[in-house]
Amino acid sequence: MIDAREIKFENPSFFKRLKGMLGVDFYRLFHTPMFYIFLVIAAVIPAMILSMTGMPGEDGTSNPMYTNTWQIVAANTPLYVISDIADYANMNMVFIFGGIMVSIFIGHDYKSGYVKQLFTTHAKKQDYMLSKSVVGAFSMACMCVTYLMIGGVLAGILSGTSFEVNVGSLICAVLGKMIMSFGWASLYTFLNIIFRRYFGVSIISSFFFGTGILIIGAAAIFGNNSILNIFLYGSSVYACLSSSFLTIIVCSLCSVAWTVIYNIFGTLILSKCDVY
Amino acid sequence: MNAIEIKSLTKNFGAKQALKGLNMTVPEGAIYGFIGENGSGKSTTEKIICGLIHPSGGSVKLFGKDYTNVDIRAKIGVLIEAPGCFQNYSVWNNMMLQAANLGIKNPEQEVVKALKTVRMEGAASNKYKNCSLGMKQRVGIAMALLGNPALLVLDEPINGLDADGMRIMRDVLLDVTKNHGCTVVVSSHILGELEKIATHYGIVRGGKMIREMTAAELDADCRTYAALQTKEMSKAKALLSCKYSRVDEENEYIRVFDAEKPEDIVTHLYENGILVSEIKTAKIGLEEYYIDLMNGKERG
Repeated sequence: MIDAREIKFENPSFFKRLKGMLGVDFYRLFHTPMFYIFLVIAAVIPAMILSMTGMPGEDGTSNPMYTNTWQIVAANTPLYVISDIADYANMNMVFIFGGIMVSIFIGHDYKSGYVKQLFTTHAKKQDYMLSKSVVGAFSMACMCVTYLMIGGVLAGILSGTSFEVNVGSLICAVLGKMIMSFGWASLYTFLNIIFRRYFGVSIISSFFFGTGILIIGAAAIFGNNSILNIFLYGSSVYACLSSSFLTIIVCSLCSVAWTVIYNIFGTLILSKCDVY
Repeated sequence: MNAIEIKSLTKNFGAKQALKGLNMTVPEGAIYGFIGENGSGKSTTEKIICGLIHPSGGSVKLFGKDYTNVDIRAKIGVLIEAPGCFQNYSVWNNMMLQAANLGIKNPEQEVVKALKTVRMEGAASNKYKNCSLGMKQRVGIAMALLGNPALLVLDEPINGLDADGMRIMRDVLLDVTKNHGCTVVVSSHILGELEKIATHYGIVRGGKMIREMTAAELDADCRTYAALQTKEMSKAKALLSCKYSRVDEENEYIRVFDAEKPEDIVTHLYENGILVSEIKTAKIGLEEYYIDLMNGKERG
């Protein structure tokens, strides 16, 4: 037989594996035009909403829906049951954009054959789930910051609405929503793993779940009840302008719990099914 | 130790059974030519080795350990179908991403080395989508070479390569096996190319391994024939067909397979008024051996 050198097999640690995968995913995120498009949308949309809802009606009178600029970020109190579709129009919209972002991301993994390259190596399925969740959460958190710092401020200046707010509550609300990004990203990663061969279905499912469609049925049963905080959308709504440190704790618990659940199920699906 | 040891491997896709108890043994350091018709189970076997699909039954061991073992997986280089590259990224970036995934310590140095090996260093800045089919294949091979793999699994790697590309491929595979102790499993329909480098062969059909052998065994197994030319080819062929069981015509030569001595053929034709202008003996190649085997013909 041919002279063979001694081959050394090393067991790459979890952190080494994750570091490599995260490095790739973050590189890709920053080189994905859609990420920047969504950031621009997040910056523009609050101004559009605030200025449009403040326009005079048919009778010539103006009855603005938002009396305070920061209501574009979150409602004054948790509004699980909404009476107007416009009540949806706040920072929670970034979770829908984030869903589409994650779908595009994972869709490219499969379309390009990158997963084939990835899973042949030492990459583990749970590393993949975690890496996508982290990058998805980061992209949504970036959108939250853009929505607040650029979109919110721009909207307030353009519409002339009040900026008066309890700063602590606003920070808690935004932090709560940013923490929820992790749970949402895990949900979208999970959905995209299920529909990995059907890119269109992945995007549609991400969109529908992002709108909080699950909570609508539950809210019809429970009403405006804080029990709905067990859902991702519920906790996202709970992060409102009357938030406190408790809000951050609730959001953290909800986000972590769903992240663990979706990561476990996503890993199971990836492990049991053929990759490519 | 064997680099790959597969026993009774089965794989079902719904009602379709793609692999039906396939056995395969690839010694360490070998260049294993994996041959079979389309749909015979080559790619399925390779995908299982690479951990891309799960077997329905049987066992797959790589270097004595289960194929799912993380330590082993870090040392496998793969080119299955097309390289898994992002279309809008440059060749360099795609390579660097794979290097990052593998956790390579000096990624830039390693990427340059791999690209040089496949003579693609000049095209590193090209967008992957703008590369020709042959260039993409080379990128795929360079990617598979990253991280000094102990096992290379290449599915149709010479598809789309020009003559120079094929030569490079041969040089690369010979180099990694001889100088780096790498084991290579390569499937291809271009058997003439495979024959130039393979040390072992596995022929698969209908999801089963029908023959495994070394290059030396193949050589011994390949039948010898006498090839001759005369001015009366058709008459000579008809005459020889009456005496010998297998006579055919290829490249303006009549080939006689079961003649013990070439002189007997010349004598027989001379006795029937035909003069032989040229006669030589030769052996059939891998391609013909394979075709014969697929057609169920007896070997000499």
